[in-house]
Amino acid sequence: MYKVLPKENLQSLFEGLRKIGDVYAPVKISGLSHDFRKVNSISEVDLEYTRTMIPPKKFFVKPRETLFEFDEEKLQYAEVQNGGGLNVILGMHACDINGLKVIDAAYINENPDKYYMQRRESTLIIGVSCTPDEYCFCRSMGADYAVDGFDLFLHEIGRGYFVRIGSEKGLRVIEENSSLFEDASKEDIEEFKENERRKAESFKLELDISGLQDMLDLAWDHPVWEETAEECFGCGTCNLVCPTCRCYDVADYVELDLKRGERLRRWDSCMLRKHGLVAGGLNFRPTRVERLRNRFNCKGSLVNGLLNCVGCGRCTLYCPAEIDFVKIMKRIRGEP
Amino acid sequence: MSVRNVLVPSPARILKSEDMTDIEKHIELEILDKEFAKRFVYKPGQFVEVGVMGVGEAPISICAARKKEDLLELCVRKVGRVTNAIHRLKPGDILWIRGPYGNGFPMENMEGSNLLLVAGGLGIAPLRGVLQYALTNREKYGTITVMYGIRCYTAMLWRDEFLQLFYEGDKNNVEFFLSYEDPSDKQCYELQCERSDRCMSGVVTKLFELKEVKPENTYAVICGPPIMYKFVVQELMKRNFDPRKIYMTLERRMKCGLGKCGHCIVGSGRNMKFVCKDGPVFTYWDALMTKGMI
Amino acid sequence: MTNTQKPKIGIFSLTGCGGDQLMILNLEPILLDLLSRFEIKDFQEASSYKEEEAELDIALVEGSVSTKTDLEKLKKIRERSKMIIAIGDCAIGGCVQAMRNGQMSMEERMRKVYGVDVDYYDVLEPKGISSYVNVELEIPGCPIEKSQVLHAITSLLHGDMPEEIDYPVCVECKLNGYPCLLVEKGLPCLGPIITAGCDARCPGLGLDCIGCRGPIRDESNVAAELEVLLEKGYDEEYILNRLRFFGGNFEDIQKLTKRISEKSKGRRNSHEEDS
Repeated sequence: MYKVLPKENLQSLFEGLRKIGDVYAPVKISGLSHDFRKVNSISEVDLEYTRTMIPPKKFFVKPRETLFEFDEEKLQYAEVQNGGGLNVILGMHACDINGLKVIDAAYINENPDKYYMQRRESTLIIGVSCTPDEYCFCRSMGADYAVDGFDLFLHEIGRGYFVRIGSEKGLRVIEENSSLFEDASKEDIEEFKENERRKAESFKLELDISGLQDMLDLAWDHPVWEETAEECFGCGTCNLVCPTCRCYDVADYVELDLKRGERLRRWDSCMLRKHGLVAGGLNFRPTRVERLRNRFNCKGSLVNGLLNCVGCGRCTLYCPAEIDFVKIMKRIRGEP
Repeated sequence: MSVRNVLVPSPARILKSEDMTDIEKHIELEILDKEFAKRFVYKPGQFVEVGVMGVGEAPISICAARKKEDLLELCVRKVGRVTNAIHRLKPGDILWIRGPYGNGFPMENMEGSNLLLVAGGLGIAPLRGVLQYALTNREKYGTITVMYGIRCYTAMLWRDEFLQLFYEGDKNNVEFFLSYEDPSDKQCYELQCERSDRCMSGVVTKLFELKEVKPENTYAVICGPPIMYKFVVQELMKRNFDPRKIYMTLERRMKCGLGKCGHCIVGSGRNMKFVCKDGPVFTYWDALMTKGMI
Repeated sequence: MTNTQKPKIGIFSLTGCGGDQLMILNLEPILLDLLSRFEIKDFQEASSYKEEEAELDIALVEGSVSTKTDLEKLKKIRERSKMIIAIGDCAIGGCVQAMRNGQMSMEERMRKVYGVDVDYYDVLEPKGISSYVNVELEIPGCPIEKSQVLHAITSLLHGDMPEEIDYPVCVECKLNGYPCLLVEKGLPCLGPIITAGCDARCPGLGLDCIGCRGPIRDESNVAAELEVLLEKGYDEEYILNRLRFFGGNFEDIQKLTKRISEKSKGRRNSHEEDS
């Protein structure tokens, strides 16, 4: 079932969403960057943004969180209660929605992570269509269109938004705000199709992914790793801004009474020194050469059939050393 | 929400904590939560995340076959923050357990075959579980050959236990070979004088000079420091072993044990593995297919 | 450790501003609770009481070794202490005092400042304490972060070595979602090579990192920082001075300095030949 949300009804829909829970949406925070922030008014929201620096994975895999509060006397690790209730993320792009599906594969399919699942289940995701810039190559990665993984998806058309419904939760939003939505007309559908076609043609950046896994395997000893390691800071930015990277580290912090404390979890990065370091001092990825190679191989590998890269362009755009992800992938493919 | 929190550790009381060497302790634990104990079914080669409250967790391989529901045996080498903290604890103190994790050794696949266990140093710990399992189910396995490489006599783990096998294993169709790296070690030299057919100085691969290893109907099981695998595998391949019948258990930074935290990742885009979840036991065939594994 | 055997602690200053001791004093709300867990044998900024011969479980040392007197003092501290913790950049790598290390001899520095080549003081080239004695732990910062010193002390009381931070400020910027000053504004931010632990305080306020926590030893790619800033149009000398401000004693920065000065010497020579 497809609907249309006329532009003038967006504000009312926003108010409707606020009744469901806190609404998070892209807000411009600097010259180049947007960020998903809690918003109180639609005027704060910029739905025409290109990308946020930090992907919306931050709502599900938190940058930092307390896993447990422990107490030696009570002999327990107590879960920290995280509010509960529904939240709404308005304005996720297809690449980020597809990125979340990659994380789902790791966090839900086997030994589900309770915190992640809770957040996933208590969040309503509303996607929005976008226009690719020179860093976007999501189409090459098959991530430019969200088939699922959202509750509603808004595709911009002349008179508003062509709306796809991705879940029962999404359907309920439509039902509860039925006066705001109209049935999609033949013209709306044609416009939606035309826009999709135009978007597909507008990508400036492409990466051939056929056989990428073997290309990476064959490039194990390629000079590109050593050359790139000369430029690379090993600062972790590429991982931290990646919508599919989900490595984390855990540390215990004990209070001064030496009895109580917290077990904290935070995002980690495979570009950092300790990532491959085991107790006793042996490091399985001792230099940036091994770490870079590992990162690119990881990004080009498949998790449950899904590529670990969705082509959002963040790692290239935000790399302080201007290391170009697509260029390197092309080089290992032997492309000029 | 009905989902169990897989990150919550379960308390276990230290029953026994004995020094085996200057840096290794043998620890016996009683799992206190009986519901957890029931679920806690493990096989040789699996590991647990062992935690000390306020310090953190470390992956430790289980060093014995499962005998009793709530009992767990570990060998802990003092190398980092967590293992140092574990060494400070005494019987009666509490450790925090998650697991069991990893695939473990496929003991069923190896039934009806001879076993060749090759261990270096602390690598004997997970193989002790294999050995115990095979000895408990003795009729299911053929000849058991153990090659154990140590640095010196005082670094030998479970000394009484293994010396008994060294001397008397043959009664039970177990051939126990011992190599020692420090040629000036007197006690090891005495062992060598007594049984020059079973003991010699040098690295563990030297023992292939003492024992004619044949690939027919035999599974090799290897565990030791990372550097060791290549050399042992070389010896086995010289003898035409099937790469799929060589099992190795690998070390990596296995922080979560659940394939989520990412630290134990290994391989190329063609074949990426999480050692904690897809391993830690791999065949040599896996290693051939997975770059950087050994 | 139980209360009956409180660890004995001493807090010492070598050459520096005393700011790291001050940061410990700044732990005001919990200071008394914290200090009551120790037998304090020396803490100059807090008390004139001292036991100069007492054996110590932990010695916290701030300041660089910049004089022979510093060195003598340090050696004595080492002899009486089971563990030494270097607190602050001065004690780790000499900090601002070491800005010209590997670039200019001490004699030249003395001449430039005092105009004579008389050794007024018993000066040594300023270095961190690990250049002279074994150091068990380093807590970076100019000054140190209260949270980090507290974590270190609590961990030690608990019986563990604290975890050291060896990743750069960029990580904390991203964890906090701060826009990148280097990428977006082209500011000469040293975040990619500087030890985190400050929670990216300056970038969070829109100020580019000046490197006050020092580079990450055996890890930071300082040559890449130079390249990136050159690319952005900054002057070579400016960048080098910026890198040297807190990192003068850092090996890779000295190598870089040497490379550049040799290059510019070469340039000068060829220029002279041309003319």
